[in-house]
Amino acid sequence: MKKQAHEAPRLFIRLGTHAEKEYVEKTISFLDGLVLGANLFEATPGATASLIVKFHGSAKGTPVIVDPMTYAYGSYIDQDGDHRTDLDWIMSDQNLKKADAVKQGKTHVRAFKRSYLALAQAFGGVFADAVDKQRAVLPDDLSSKATVKQTALSVLNYQRLRAQQELAKDPVFSDVAEHVPRPPFLFAPYFYIDRASWRAWLDVTIALARAAAELGGDDPVHAVICVDDDFLENSSFVDAIVKELPPTGVTGVWLWFSKFAEELAAPPRLLAYRALVEALCAADLEVYSLHGGYFSLALSKLGLCGVSHGVGYGEQKDVVPVIGQSTPTVRYYLPPLHRRLGVPDIQVCFKDLGISTAEDFFSKVCDCVVCKGVIGGDLANFSEFGDMHYSTTQSKRMAQTPASAKRCRYHFLLRRLAERDWIRGATIADVIGMLNASQAAWSAAKRLDRTNVTQLERWAKALA
Amino acid sequence: MRSFSREQLLRAPVRGFLRGQGFAHFATELQFYEYRIDVYGYSAKRALTVAVELKLFKWQRAFEQALRYQLCADLVFIAMPERVVHRIDRDALLAYGIGLIAVASRTRCWEAVAAAPSELLLPSYRDTYRRALTRTSS
Repeated sequence: MKKQAHEAPRLFIRLGTHAEKEYVEKTISFLDGLVLGANLFEATPGATASLIVKFHGSAKGTPVIVDPMTYAYGSYIDQDGDHRTDLDWIMSDQNLKKADAVKQGKTHVRAFKRSYLALAQAFGGVFADAVDKQRAVLPDDLSSKATVKQTALSVLNYQRLRAQQELAKDPVFSDVAEHVPRPPFLFAPYFYIDRASWRAWLDVTIALARAAAELGGDDPVHAVICVDDDFLENSSFVDAIVKELPPTGVTGVWLWFSKFAEELAAPPRLLAYRALVEALCAADLEVYSLHGGYFSLALSKLGLCGVSHGVGYGEQKDVVPVIGQSTPTVRYYLPPLHRRLGVPDIQVCFKDLGISTAEDFFSKVCDCVVCKGVIGGDLANFSEFGDMHYSTTQSKRMAQTPASAKRCRYHFLLRRLAERDWIRGATIADVIGMLNASQAAWSAAKRLDRTNVTQLERWAKALA
Repeated sequence: MRSFSREQLLRAPVRGFLRGQGFAHFATELQFYEYRIDVYGYSAKRALTVAVELKLFKWQRAFEQALRYQLCADLVFIAMPERVVHRIDRDALLAYGIGLIAVASRTRCWEAVAAAPSELLLPSYRDTYRRALTRTSS
């Protein structure tokens, strides 16, 4: 196993929107890095660039990494299982100006989201062609070495220079523009490896990784492997990655297995994930999980360098998001089970677990400052993690209050940091022992669906 | 024996049954976090609240929901068509104090298992719903 250059696991938080900025601001000095999607950069260039300056200037100088999101321009499988090359998932229905509406005889048009359009134009090459033609980038588009090289260079340069370019436009920041540190590493362009032509997509991924590593110069380059989670158990695919990725010259790889929910995964898939991490580490690569949870953090004991996820969600991510669903409830992260549950699902366990006072809760569930502040001396206040309201006068269903969502997010972040710190100092036997102890303790919660507890046992076995 | 095609058809007979038990104030589809309680009732005379989960077939799912409703109601029942109640694990219901209402027709129900007073009740939930019911229903 490669000796890790940093204390592992490293924890990177991914900022989904600027609305999440406040969570990062409060915790930035404890994080190992911040990941910004390039689409967020293009949606709000000025705000994002100034955020980078701010975080680089924090006491710890927390590094900011830019995910180029190039997969957005590839082919994908939609929610109905259909293979799509029309890029529709990065489009939205947009209202036409009145004059255009009259001229065209319709009120709205399906068009690229502004951020993805701007990003494609900033990258140029195959990305700009894709939005021009409204047709996804396909493996054949990257069959020539010159195109691969141009694609890799434009994506690397975007990550190197985008913040500087934006700041240089602003008289207030123009002086600091050239001093903005570059990301500690750059991502090679990557695409979703769709099952219909995985070999061709993997060839493209490897070629782009190799080209990016060559063009990286002093900047370390990391690859991203983005594929459906069942490919963890596809030995041809796994063998190909382990054999072909290390020679490309990238120093790291981020694994993104779409739909891979660690808490639901069956033992063979967990074992396959562990084996892949170990094999890539043995090949001297830094291995990270792009959207990982507690099991990934625990894999740091077997070589995984770090994990990134969102603020209060994002420990698992599908390549193509479900469109049209309502804002999800931010559930309470239950530390002993390392998963989220609704407030009543947790409250029904209290009696069986002997939790009848606030002190019991702090000793058996969580004693973070958020929980202590919310619960105070009255266990009934735990319900504030699930407060609901009618968000508008027209609402037919109550939704979580913003204050409640905020409590859950802050609690989650604090616990996740505590988990990272604990794992850093623990042995693999400690981690397994803690999982088994939690499993034994929470098995007493007879009113809780067993499926909420059994992941602890599966994880312990997969780590053993 | 009547067959019910939709859960909502169980609602009226169940409410009628509960009226007979002294419950006068009702809410339907009462939201409790991410759950919706099919029938929630309050009896001022008995100073009791009741929650009922209606189900046509899947009693295990109803059972899981009923356990959560014990946080906000004094008595909790599952109500199912009479013709399927024999499939239900009565020992599980008894172990946790969940009651069972058998719905025989659109006008007739009977109590197959009595509900025990909830051991999980959180007064703050119950009192909120009770106040809302007495303000808005009769």
